[in-house]
Amino acid sequence: MDAEGSTMGAGGWGLHVQVRVPLDAIDLDVDWRPESDHVAILGPSGSGKSTLLRALAGLEPSAEGRVSFGDEVWLDSDAGVNMPAWERRVGWVPQDALLFPHLSLRENLAYAGAGPSEVESMAESLFLSGLLDRRPRFLSGGERQRVALGRALLSAPRVLLLDEPFSALDRPLRSEIAAMVRTFARDSGTPIVLVSHDEHDAELLADERWVLVAGSLSADGASA
Amino acid sequence: MAHPASAEGMPRTSRDVPAAPAELGRGQRPAQPPEQSPEVLVVLAASSLQDVLPVVARAWYAASGVPVRFSFDATSRLAPQILRGAPADVFISADEVWMRWLEERGGVDGASIRPVTTNQLVFVVPRGASDPPGDPRSIARSDLARIALAGENVPAGRYARAALESLGSWITVEPRVVRGGSVRGALEWVARAEADGGIVYRTDALAEDRVTLAFAFEGEDYPTPTYLGAVTTRTEHREAAEAFLDFMSGAEAVALFAASGFGPAGEGVTTAQAPSSESDMPPPLDPWSAVRLSLIVAFSAVLLGLVPAVALGWLLARRDFLGKSFVSMIVMAPLVVPPVVTGFLLLSVLGRESALGGLLAAVGLPIPFTLLGATLAALVVGFPLYVMAIRAVFDTVDRRFEEVSWTLGVPKAPTFRRISLPLALPGIAAGAVLAFARALGEFGATVVLAGNMEGDTRTIALAVYSLLESPSGQGATWTLVIASVMLSLVALLGFERLSRWQRRRMEDHHGR
Repeated sequence: MDAEGSTMGAGGWGLHVQVRVPLDAIDLDVDWRPESDHVAILGPSGSGKSTLLRALAGLEPSAEGRVSFGDEVWLDSDAGVNMPAWERRVGWVPQDALLFPHLSLRENLAYAGAGPSEVESMAESLFLSGLLDRRPRFLSGGERQRVALGRALLSAPRVLLLDEPFSALDRPLRSEIAAMVRTFARDSGTPIVLVSHDEHDAELLADERWVLVAGSLSADGASA
Repeated sequence: MAHPASAEGMPRTSRDVPAAPAELGRGQRPAQPPEQSPEVLVVLAASSLQDVLPVVARAWYAASGVPVRFSFDATSRLAPQILRGAPADVFISADEVWMRWLEERGGVDGASIRPVTTNQLVFVVPRGASDPPGDPRSIARSDLARIALAGENVPAGRYARAALESLGSWITVEPRVVRGGSVRGALEWVARAEADGGIVYRTDALAEDRVTLAFAFEGEDYPTPTYLGAVTTRTEHREAAEAFLDFMSGAEAVALFAASGFGPAGEGVTTAQAPSSESDMPPPLDPWSAVRLSLIVAFSAVLLGLVPAVALGWLLARRDFLGKSFVSMIVMAPLVVPPVVTGFLLLSVLGRESALGGLLAAVGLPIPFTLLGATLAALVVGFPLYVMAIRAVFDTVDRRFEEVSWTLGVPKAPTFRRISLPLALPGIAAGAVLAFARALGEFGATVVLAGNMEGDTRTIALAVYSLLESPSGQGATWTLVIASVMLSLVALLGFERLSRWQRRRMEDHHGR
């Protein structure tokens, strides 16, 4: 973990993104340097929010430009640098959870190497304790999202990339889970990039807002 | 052979004499009354005659105006075809056993049976073989490790066995015998040096320049292969058929036969020369040996192909690379190329004459005529289904599962092992079952690459085929047919189940 490499706080955490991702519908063309630890990117569906997160995670092979995180260069297409996803160590939580269908909840949570007690306590804080031995297909959408969140948190991420992580949760549960994620992020010094079309989610998690429209990103005056 | 008209030489062809005015497909006899149908003689004849008979028939056509249409095949396959209603007017058998067999069952008119011409058994070795045996006694020499004969029900195979028996060498030689389906098959193996020698007809040996004629089986001790002709009982052209048989014993035809290396018909048939009763027929084959062998071959093929099939299936589903469509085409080719052709290509690549085949033989893994050969043939022919099924599975496994795994810090190789492979497992098993089923049914490539050797390469399909030309194989045939159908259905059921499991697993993450 190099939380130190990413200077937290007012000076920003060192994420600098200048990428272009050619897509079918629109080109994503972003030059972005967030300042707060917890950032939300809002925008209508189809604006490229998920693609931006995937590019940060190292999952968009067609991404061009530069991405740096602290002192580390994740992508520099001019220099031929493209750090693979497993070295970037981002906690990516995709919208549809993508729990491994052949593994139980316990095995999903422990996938990145967390020990049994870590798994148990994570399950408890996500209100999943009784479900640990089930397979994903016996879970509701909200339960799946919580497992996906827990799995990412247990992988010791250097930054959390959350893609509509609460879409299947009802309001009261959203607040509780969001509070839990904030606590985790604060305790471990992990920055968060949240992507959502829901202002309420942004309020729950983020200190700074950006708006992505038609592939380009701009600061939102309504920053919290 | 010398005649240009006979340049084409594949077995099992039907062709018209050039001037023939009418096409008449087998089994498609016109429904008109006989007097309205154009007169065409359909002659079913032993395949060793396929170069010379069209020449004789052209002379006959010039003399009579009646065209002849031929179907050439092993005598042992033609005789049952006549009983099953092949629209033949004349049957020319390469030995007496099959002619009498047909006569007893009412297939031919006994009074019309007559000798047509004769042949001679010879021993051939691959061209350039050092120290070829000079006389029949030296066949027992141990350096002749493989001796090719035609199949045990094929007249040439039976004559060869009779010759070896009269020498007293059969017991010694039998373990070294490899059986081709036909004389030409046996000859091909000698020509490719897959066999160290073979017993074939003189006329076939003369036509093949990749072999050397070592010696002939001459004299009273050995059978003279005699071709018999007869008119079938269901002919509608009896007079023309009789006339054609007469023509073949005339001076003009005899000269044409002689020009191709065939001998005079002689006085008649000496039954002592050829095995003549069914008790001389080979013992009935053991159907369970074939079933066991089929299972062994199919299982080994599936195991042997597992890793390459998974690798290729994954590669084709997930990667773009230069020459991908070419690779895909090559892998899929055995699905559309006739299996016999696949077998031929495999024999060319893996036979002893090739560099690779020589190397394999040198390290103790000879391919032709071995269980390994049968396995390989079954694998290659089933491989397209194997790869296609696995490719389809990797297409359906959402690759974002792999991406999630990467972001959780697990690199590609362990992700493949922990995520992709287990998710694809039911589909991989389904592909294996499909390849297994195809391997069970494999015939064409196997018979060419591995021959038809009981206990070694005679799988269910080959055994059924052999039994079709055996006069006494009904019971065993049904055992095999039932076993084969059952095994195939069980395999398909397994495929169905596994495919369903795979689908359900893929639906798992799409909510309930």
